[in-house]
Amino acid sequence: MKKWPGKILLFFVTAAASVAAVLIGIYYFHFISQRIYEDSAVHLEEIYGQVNHSLGAFISKNWGLLDSWDDYLASEKDAEESDIYDFINEKRAYWGFSEFYFLSYDGTYITLDGTEGIMDLGEAWDSLMEQKNPVMSGGTLSTDQDVTIFAIPVQHGKYKNVTFNAIAISYTNADIADSLNVDAFFGKAACFVIHDNGNVLLSTQPGGNVFENYLVYLNAASDLNKKELKQIGSDWENGKSGLLQCKIGGVNHYILYQPVKYQDYILLSVVPQNAVSAGFLSIQKATVCVLIIIFLIISTLAIALIVLYIQKQSRRNKTELAYRESMFNVLSNCVDDIFLMLNIHTQKAEYISPNIERLLGIPAAEAKQNIRIMEKCAINYNIVIPEKELEAIPLGGSRFWECEYMHQNTGERRWYRMTVYHLDIQNVKKHIIVLSDRTLEQQTNHQLQEALTVAKSANEAKSNFLSNMSHDIRTPMNAIVGFSVLLEKDADKPEKVLEYTRKITASSHHLLSLINDVLDMSKIESGKTSLNVDLFHLPQFLEELNIILMPQAKAKKQSFEIHVQGSPPEKLMGDKLRLNQILINLLSNAIKYTPENGQVTFQIVELPQPTQQYTKLRFIVQDNGIGMSEEFIEQIFTPFSREISSVTNKIQGTGLGMAITKNLVDLMGGIIQVESQPGEGSTFTVELSFALPEQEQTDSEPWFHNSITRILVADDEEEICLDIKEMLKSEGMEAAYATNGAAAVEAAVLAHQSGKDFDIILLDWKMPEMNGVETARNIRMHLGSDVPILVLTSYDWAEIEEEAREAGINAFMQKPFFVSAFQRAVRPLFHVQTAETPAEPEPADETMKGRLFLVVEDNELNAEILTEMLDMEEAKCELAVNGSEAVEMFEKSKPGYYDMILMDVQMPVMNGYEATRKIRSSHHPDAKNIPIVAMTANTFAEDVRNAMDAGMDGHLAKPIDMDTVRDLIGKLIGRKQDT
Amino acid sequence: MKKKYSMPLLLASAFILASCAKPDNSSDTLTIMGKKSDMEKSYMTSIFEQYESASGNKLNIITFEDEDFETAATEKFAEGEAPDIFMHFNNSDLERFDVSENFYYLNNESWVTDLTNSAASYCQDSDGNLLGLPFWESSISGCYYNKTLLDELGLKPATTQKEFNVLCQALADTGYTPICWPADGGEWMYQFGLDPIFADNPPLLDKLNKNQTTYYDIADVRKMVQWVSDAADKGWFGKDYLKTGWDDISPAMNSGQAVMTFIWDTWFYTDFEEGKYSINDFALMPAFMNTTIGGVYEGGNLNMMMVNKKSSHLEKALGFLSFCASEKNYNTAFDGISTIKCFKGQNTIIQSQMVTDAQVSISANERASTAASKIFGYSQDDVAAAFDSLFRKNTDVDGCIKLMDKYRIGEAHKCGIEGF
Repeated sequence: MKKWPGKILLFFVTAAASVAAVLIGIYYFHFISQRIYEDSAVHLEEIYGQVNHSLGAFISKNWGLLDSWDDYLASEKDAEESDIYDFINEKRAYWGFSEFYFLSYDGTYITLDGTEGIMDLGEAWDSLMEQKNPVMSGGTLSTDQDVTIFAIPVQHGKYKNVTFNAIAISYTNADIADSLNVDAFFGKAACFVIHDNGNVLLSTQPGGNVFENYLVYLNAASDLNKKELKQIGSDWENGKSGLLQCKIGGVNHYILYQPVKYQDYILLSVVPQNAVSAGFLSIQKATVCVLIIIFLIISTLAIALIVLYIQKQSRRNKTELAYRESMFNVLSNCVDDIFLMLNIHTQKAEYISPNIERLLGIPAAEAKQNIRIMEKCAINYNIVIPEKELEAIPLGGSRFWECEYMHQNTGERRWYRMTVYHLDIQNVKKHIIVLSDRTLEQQTNHQLQEALTVAKSANEAKSNFLSNMSHDIRTPMNAIVGFSVLLEKDADKPEKVLEYTRKITASSHHLLSLINDVLDMSKIESGKTSLNVDLFHLPQFLEELNIILMPQAKAKKQSFEIHVQGSPPEKLMGDKLRLNQILINLLSNAIKYTPENGQVTFQIVELPQPTQQYTKLRFIVQDNGIGMSEEFIEQIFTPFSREISSVTNKIQGTGLGMAITKNLVDLMGGIIQVESQPGEGSTFTVELSFALPEQEQTDSEPWFHNSITRILVADDEEEICLDIKEMLKSEGMEAAYATNGAAAVEAAVLAHQSGKDFDIILLDWKMPEMNGVETARNIRMHLGSDVPILVLTSYDWAEIEEEAREAGINAFMQKPFFVSAFQRAVRPLFHVQTAETPAEPEPADETMKGRLFLVVEDNELNAEILTEMLDMEEAKCELAVNGSEAVEMFEKSKPGYYDMILMDVQMPVMNGYEATRKIRSSHHPDAKNIPIVAMTANTFAEDVRNAMDAGMDGHLAKPIDMDTVRDLIGKLIGRKQDT
Repeated sequence: MKKKYSMPLLLASAFILASCAKPDNSSDTLTIMGKKSDMEKSYMTSIFEQYESASGNKLNIITFEDEDFETAATEKFAEGEAPDIFMHFNNSDLERFDVSENFYYLNNESWVTDLTNSAASYCQDSDGNLLGLPFWESSISGCYYNKTLLDELGLKPATTQKEFNVLCQALADTGYTPICWPADGGEWMYQFGLDPIFADNPPLLDKLNKNQTTYYDIADVRKMVQWVSDAADKGWFGKDYLKTGWDDISPAMNSGQAVMTFIWDTWFYTDFEEGKYSINDFALMPAFMNTTIGGVYEGGNLNMMMVNKKSSHLEKALGFLSFCASEKNYNTAFDGISTIKCFKGQNTIIQSQMVTDAQVSISANERASTAASKIFGYSQDDVAAAFDSLFRKNTDVDGCIKLMDKYRIGEAHKCGIEGF
């Protein structure tokens, strides 16, 4: 059975209750009306019964009066007319009638004063004259005056010589009204005496009578129908009483008629209902009002309860709806799918999930107002709410389109699958549109596509790399192999051997650099690169850099200058090797890609110090070489990328250098930038921060001990002068400067003449017009040899050294200027005592002489090379081919037998790490002390760390560089001796 | 065709030498001055001819075109060329001729008793002096009602104001329009109520014309205006009375839509068109506007012949008037003329049955046309305008009366009437 919804049930119950209440009200109203009618009828009948009685009495009285006067006239036949006149006139004054008439049989009359006329009594005349009945009748006099006549037949007599057969008196309607005293109902009632045919005999209406026949009038003016009128007429003819209600002129009236006792007259009363029932009606109205008020109160209460119930339900529904909507909004905000409910007829969105603003930049309210606003952000316009296609979707069916939108504000593109469901929701056809976000999927596809492209590109690059490497490796290998053959062939020719050996060495170094680059890149890419931060000396670092690069630049006849701007700290904490690698890469490239006679400058700029613990330096490598295209700049730091051009094709390279550089800069937390124009050169800028070591006491005393307080600096670049001046100032010295040689000479002479010679004169070598040597010569001419003169140069001064010393130059300094370097240069001239006073001249390195090494190497060739190298150092070695054998040999050896163990790592039977651990854990007296150095091609930091973890003391990378071996061994053996 | 009430009162008069009168033996010439159109009336030419024939005297008829008459006649009087006999309506224009100075009072003439009350009253001044002999055709105005319809409704005509009120309400209750009241073109009706106020009280009229009192001060005027206002409110004029004009009266009456209207008898011969009801269905009762108990009939405006009391032919001029007032002579002159009686002995005129039937009532309640003709500054249009404002609720009863006063006084002032 179908269950009716609560609201409908409630509505029907309320409606039924209301109808019942209304029916009860109607019934009650009808009941009251009926009671009022009945009471009014009784009231009317009582009143007009009295009126009727009064009328009867009035008629009787008048006939009685006439009878008595007839008696008087009969008894006073001989009386004088004046007596009769007085008698009747006295009666008229007393009884209030209008006139007295003596009526003749012929219808004429004569009044007391002798006025004659004709009286028309109609049918009543016969009754009076023929039937000798007393009559009451309406009469019209010859004066056109309507009066009511009371007449009685009398014995004939004479008055003023007129014979009369009847006597009569007349009343006006007003007179009768006064006599009957019918002024009830506030004067609104009309009372008539009518004939049985409806003709009005008299009216007590205050205004007089204008009704000729009231039955006729009722027919015209009332709402009584013919049947009712006929019934009334019948009642009147039959002398019956009656009471009825009707409307006259739209107003409810009571019509009451009662037969008068005399003749066939009817007393007709017409009373407005509101006059009769005024009291009742007020009670009725009050009752109805009370009922209505009660009904309204009950209704109001019922309605209020219903409204409260509905509101409660509505609130509950709204709450639930709001909860659902909130939940849906939250859900939709958590997802990137957009939901719409569309009315197909209005094409308006009845619901849009609020995330549309986040996802498409369209406020939901605006989209709801006009769904076509979505077209603004649709990229493929063809499928924006396609109306026809929407209409074509069958009820219950769905269809989807792929579409793409762009965020209105951010321009972000999003991909959606728009699925449209055509549904019937409570007999209303709706379209639910779900825009399922496919952006991630699309982006993944794109990324995959890009990755594929990248992979292809990488693969291609690696193929190119392999191809290049094949070429680049084979080239030096070819040289090595070729020259080795030639070496064998010309072994007996020392000059040839020397030449071939040098070329083989060069090719080997090139090959080694290739391998190093590849390995470095491999390490970086695998994330295994770590920094080895240590204290290093910036001036020494730059000097070493200069030493390395200057020959390369010189070989290409390029100018290579190093400038320092500001006064950067000389001691820094950093990975010197990696910094060296970065700058060597940049500077080597600059030299490499700058044609002969080109210019390469290297500038170190001190940037504002970020904190007290750190300093920030900018390294600028600038050349005027071949430059790079914009496209290549974009991928310059991509591994294996090399610009292909007619120039670069001639230049060897792995295409890894810049990638390694970039990665190293990143690793050091710095930035690297490049600016370049093809044919105009390139500028690489690297900014790096370095920790500062703990502040050391500045040792300025040496200058004062030697009374060095005034310096003259001459350089054509004023900035260099100022920088030097600033640095010297920090050392407590005063510096003057000149930007050309002549000015320097002049300054020196002036100082000399004033007796205040400069303590040292520092001259740039290459100055325009007058170079440093010439300037020195001039100064010496004026000053003699007392004042030390130093030449500051970026160039190799070897070729001018002799000329310079002849000109009076005492020493040379490498640019850039550093105080420490200045001290070192000045020291021999003044015998300056400094904290860094070097020891005695270094003796010949005999660190390794006479030492016995246990060499653990599974590769015979490497073992042979190492054996030979040690032999060159006058050292000896014993060879073990794996770790196990080495352990055995060590354990069997006497204490102090071996000075050091050189341990390969990757070996069969037992690797170097395990062997080291066994040695360290052995009971041999030297187990803990004997230096063990890893000697391996595994050069990564973790390799070094692993070696240390295994108990080794050092790490040497293959191929073995004897200088490195010598240094390390020196340190370790020294340490061993200390222990 | 619409016909203004100021024009409709047609009076027939004949100038007949009484056959019994003895004319002066000496032949003489009497000058009679009047409007040209008036003098050309058939009953006028008839009486002139009868007189000349019977007396041997000559009559010098001096006429002016209607539009020039007042000015030209005034000039003649000013220049001392007043005629022996001067014919003029007893209206406010007569004042310019210095009545008391120029004209002979006819109170004692033998024919005075033969005049109907209405005619005699019309020809008197405010002091009751008879100024002239009325000799004109006229009509009787009152309340003409559809007696057939009244019979059908079981009603009968009213004889008093109270009965009239009852009758109106009884008719309204039947759904008929009691009174056809053409507010938009019934300018004449308001004077029916005013006539008895001033006709019955000449001193009051004199005070009003001397600007010594106003309508606002006269209780009967207020009663009249109040009654008209109440009647309109009760629906006795129907629903659309404000839009009803002259041309709507006939359709309303001949269809039975309206039962009564205030009009004059000759209207039935000039403007009434038969419809469901014909002229025979109508009868006459007094017009009731709450200013007299028994209602009022308004008599016509009558042209009267006045005698120049400075005339050298005074006796002959008086003899001429007596000749005209002779029953034989005037019956000869007015033979076949449709009019009401000026002389009681008129028996050759044609009188409508409606008037004949109401003769008793007319005799009792007729008043001379007083308001329109004797109140200085009275204008039918102005009064109608004041009532229009009342009907449209733009003003109340007091406001309406003040407007009537304002217009009247303004018009009198404009005409240079002394006292205004």
